[in-house]
Amino acid sequence: MSSRRATQRVLLWVVCGALLAPALAVAEWGFDAGAGVNYDDNLPNALEEDDRKGDTAVTANLSAGFHEQLGTNTGVSVSLVADNSAYVRYTGLNNVGLGARAQLRRKFGLGTEAPWLAFSAQALHRDYHYDYRDGWQYDAGATLGKQLNERWSVRGSVRYDRYTADHLQPMIRPGISTAAYDTWGWNFGAQAAFLLTEADTLSASYGFRNGTVTAVTPPDLEVLEYSSAIAIDPVFSDTTRMIAYRISAKTDTFSLAWSHAFGRYTALNLTFAYRRSRTGSELGDYYSNLIGLSVSYSR
Amino acid sequence: MRCPRLAVLLVCATLAPQTFGAELHAVVYDHNGKPLPNAVVVATPEDGSVPAAKSTVAIVDQIDKEFVPYVKAVRAGSYVKFPNKDDIRHHVYSFSPAKKFELPLYTGTPAQPMLFDKPGVVKLGCNIHDWMIAYIYVAETPYFGKSEADGRVNLDTLPPGRYHVRVWHPLMQGTEGDTVKRVELRDAGASTVEWKLKLKSEFRPRRQPLPGEAGYR
Repeated sequence: MSSRRATQRVLLWVVCGALLAPALAVAEWGFDAGAGVNYDDNLPNALEEDDRKGDTAVTANLSAGFHEQLGTNTGVSVSLVADNSAYVRYTGLNNVGLGARAQLRRKFGLGTEAPWLAFSAQALHRDYHYDYRDGWQYDAGATLGKQLNERWSVRGSVRYDRYTADHLQPMIRPGISTAAYDTWGWNFGAQAAFLLTEADTLSASYGFRNGTVTAVTPPDLEVLEYSSAIAIDPVFSDTTRMIAYRISAKTDTFSLAWSHAFGRYTALNLTFAYRRSRTGSELGDYYSNLIGLSVSYSR
Repeated sequence: MRCPRLAVLLVCATLAPQTFGAELHAVVYDHNGKPLPNAVVVATPEDGSVPAAKSTVAIVDQIDKEFVPYVKAVRAGSYVKFPNKDDIRHHVYSFSPAKKFELPLYTGTPAQPMLFDKPGVVKLGCNIHDWMIAYIYVAETPYFGKSEADGRVNLDTLPPGRYHVRVWHPLMQGTEGDTVKRVELRDAGASTVEWKLKLKSEFRPRRQPLPGEAGYR
């Protein structure tokens, strides 16, 4: 029976391969790669000034896959994705992400100024140096974009993100979950990009996220009152006992980016983002500034 | 015949096409004085007399998701083939009044070349790869040429006479009409014309990756 099932599976793969082969023969294979440094001045999402901890991460990413044009206006892309972040001080945050991404993009018309709509989904497994942070990161959403003229383009997006940790710590306080790293959020974004010169692109974007966030703090009864989950987190201190907690928040992110193109495939990017999370409680707001410098390559 | 060689030479000289005529040497510079490639120089006889167009086939390739060449000059009445030399599909189109057309998703070379019978500029694009842009200049006269890296265009064997000579470049400011020069060409003589063109930037959709944008473009 099992050998029959195995044969059926092999046949199924052969049939699928035969059906996909003609399409893949004209698929556009390619890969993206990038490397850079990011600085975040408030990694733990600290409320108090004294608890803020900043650090620099060296990052790298790679994705490889194919784009298949299903028709004159619709294309699908599937790629495998890998990324890595290595922090200078808080090495417990070092992580490697591995996963896949898919996108379906439809252009409504002919030419560069035709509007387009893209649905995308991504699933990445993150393996942190601090094991309790390990988990699956999911992201799915839709983006609507349009090139307004030679120099201006705009886009708007709606996305849902979720993070689910692989393992939960033993309970710290009875009745309170330890799934402090399990978060979710609805994201709404808008972006405008402007070609400053033939090689330089400036973009400004705003994002709003409504969901849950994880923050790390020394134990604080007021924080515990508003938390939906808490867990021990030694990432930011070896000496002081600290806890990660999950809380509902509305997050505004304002971003500016400058990108300079080199040749056909490469770009140098400088990004700045200001992020503010409003907890809507007496706890107050978190804020952080993020600066990134990266080189990206797409072929 | 006593001198058969001489006779053959005489016959050949009689039958050979008239290769002599006037020469027009054009040089095109940008506003910094640097030689400008991809400029099309066109000479139009003042009396409007031009030989009938011959049917020719020109080629605009697609290589590494770019059109090659960036500028192609043809005479009105010419055919153009658009071979796709990439192993992916392209979707070539033009909205230009001189030639509106669309070659939906294809690989290889479309069986039928496209006829370009109306003078003017035809801007090409690819609907899959938005950064792909090229131009076909369709001239109303057979006397034209495209500059290479040295900015030079040499038009040989022009019939002597008076000409209106003009230049076009995809990034030029102003119009072709602003560049017209009157030139009188004498038999076996050579004339030189120069232009200094002010150029504008070419803003194409980005091929290179942008921050936060994933996937293939």
